[in-house]
Parts: sequence; structure tokens; C-alpha cells
Amino acid sequence: MAEQGRYLYAVCRGVTPEAVDGIVGLGGGRVDLVSEGDLVGLVSPVDLDEYGEEGLRRNLERIEWLEAAARGHDAVVQAAAAIAPTAPTRLATIFLDDEGVRRRLREQHAAITTALDRVEGHEEWSVKVLTRAVEAEPEPVPVAGSGAEYLRRKREEQDARSASDRDAHLAAERVHDALVTVVAASRRLPPQDPRLAGHEGTMVHNAAYLVHRDHSDAFLARVHEQSDAYPEIVVDARGPWPPYSFAMLDES
Amino acid sequence: MTSTSLATAPAPLENRQIALVDLLDRLLGTGVVIAGDVVISLAGVDLVELRLRALLRTVEHDA
Repeated sequence: MAEQGRYLYAVCRGVTPEAVDGIVGLGGGRVDLVSEGDLVGLVSPVDLDEYGEEGLRRNLERIEWLEAAARGHDAVVQAAAAIAPTAPTRLATIFLDDEGVRRRLREQHAAITTALDRVEGHEEWSVKVLTRAVEAEPEPVPVAGSGAEYLRRKREEQDARSASDRDAHLAAERVHDALVTVVAASRRLPPQDPRLAGHEGTMVHNAAYLVHRDHSDAFLARVHEQSDAYPEIVVDARGPWPPYSFAMLDES
Repeated sequence: MTSTSLATAPAPLENRQIALVDLLDRLLGTGVVIAGDVVISLAGVDLVELRLRALLRTVEHDA
């Protein structure tokens, strides 16, 4: 029988045991509460063969394992965020026992409280701005003696593309400026690789916005308005999600 | 192993299902940084992250 550890999904405030009854954790474990003062950690038992240091090193290399863990973590966080102020933890935050969780909640009480105050009543929205995918011109068959001509055309194509990327960057900045007036906070994330994210065109803006629940409609209206104002770009908004990008602790 | 599970399928504007690539950006890049007992020093996590990204790229190239 393998040793068990405690997987910490999130830290919340004001969650009762009845509220998490029936929430299932990774590997089918029951989600329990670990309380320390006004803070509550959501934990479930996990097998240390799988989630210990050695197991993690092995498993984090396996995309199927990683996806299942990320989805399982997200499911618990989503359930918690629907009922209480929730600060999600990083993937694979593992303690040896409940006392370890309590000790950490005690040590980090002030910083966690600040994070919970920031996200309470808010949700996260993702907004990405992409250039419209240009249809590639069919590559002409190079003819003898056309080397200079070919290079010139290549350069023109490249110039046109970088001009359009530049315009898209400018438009994205205006979209961002318009959105931040209706949000509580924003955070820029690195643009994603199109091969991973599956998009066409160039991603010129990838950001998370922290939006009060009461302002979701205003935020979405602003997204639509901006999308209409800049037909040369694609404005892709997703959400609402738990406030993953805004629960970081300020000092650590 | 295919790349399909990683791709962001076109989705309606309001969509609570988070694409895996967005979820990993958040679960590895942000989130409350509370050190657990088991692993993972911050440097360790960053290493994990780098390896993951390399892995994800490999998966994509193979597809």
C-alpha cells in the first residue's frame, strides 16, 4: 500500500464541508477541507508513488497524465470558485499531511488574504488578438534568370506581412486600452505558439482580465465593440474562468 | 499520441471549458505559489515548465 500525500487545489474563504460534499478529486479521491483560521485549503489524498518527487518527475513528461491532472485540478477549482473566493494553487502542490497544509496557510496568511481580497467576486476572462490569416500565394515556379525578381517579390511579401503585423499590434493595444477601463486588473501572458493553440494568423496579444461578476456584460459588450471597430484583427474572448492569473502571492 | 487534444477547437464566445494550452499557461505559470512539502522548489517548477514546453513542441512536430 503506497503512502498517501495531500494534494492542495486551492485556498478559499468561507467554505463549509457541506459545500464540497461530492466534489471528486484526482484519482477519485474525496475532497476534504483543511481549516486554518479563516482560510480553508481544498485537499484530496493522492498516492505518493504517483505524486511524490520521483513520480512527478516521470509523470510530468507524459502528456496524457499531464492533461488528466490539469483537468482534474481545474474541475475542483471550478467547483470551489463557483461558491467562494478561491485562490487556485499551482499544479501538483503536494503536502505530506494536513498539518503541513495548515502550517503553510499560517505562514502565508497575509499574502493569501491579499490574493483572496483581490479576486473575491471576480472572474477571469482571456482575450487574444490575432492577425487574420492571409492566404498564401501559390509559390511560382522559379524560371532561369529570375533570381533577383524572386528575391524582390519575397522581400515585398515579407514587408507587407510585417506592416500588417505592426498594424495588428497597434490595434491590439487600443483594444487592451478599451478593455482595461472596465476591469479590476489585467495581466499579459506570452503569445502562444500556433502549433499548440491551433490558431491561424499571428497572435499579437494574449492577456487575462479580472472582471467583477456584475461587470461581465459590460466587458463583453466592450469586446464586441472593439472587435467591430478593428475588422483587420480577430478578437477572441473566452471565459468566465476561475481567477487563475490573479491569485499569485505578492511576496514570496 | 496526437496533437488534437492540444488544439484549441473553435468555440463560442462564452466558454467555460479551458483549452489545455490555456490551462497549462495558468496552472504552471501563475496561481498562488505555495510551496508544498513534496517537491518542488521554484527553480524545480521552472525546470518542469521548460521540459513540458519542449515536450509539447515535440508532440506537435510528430503529429
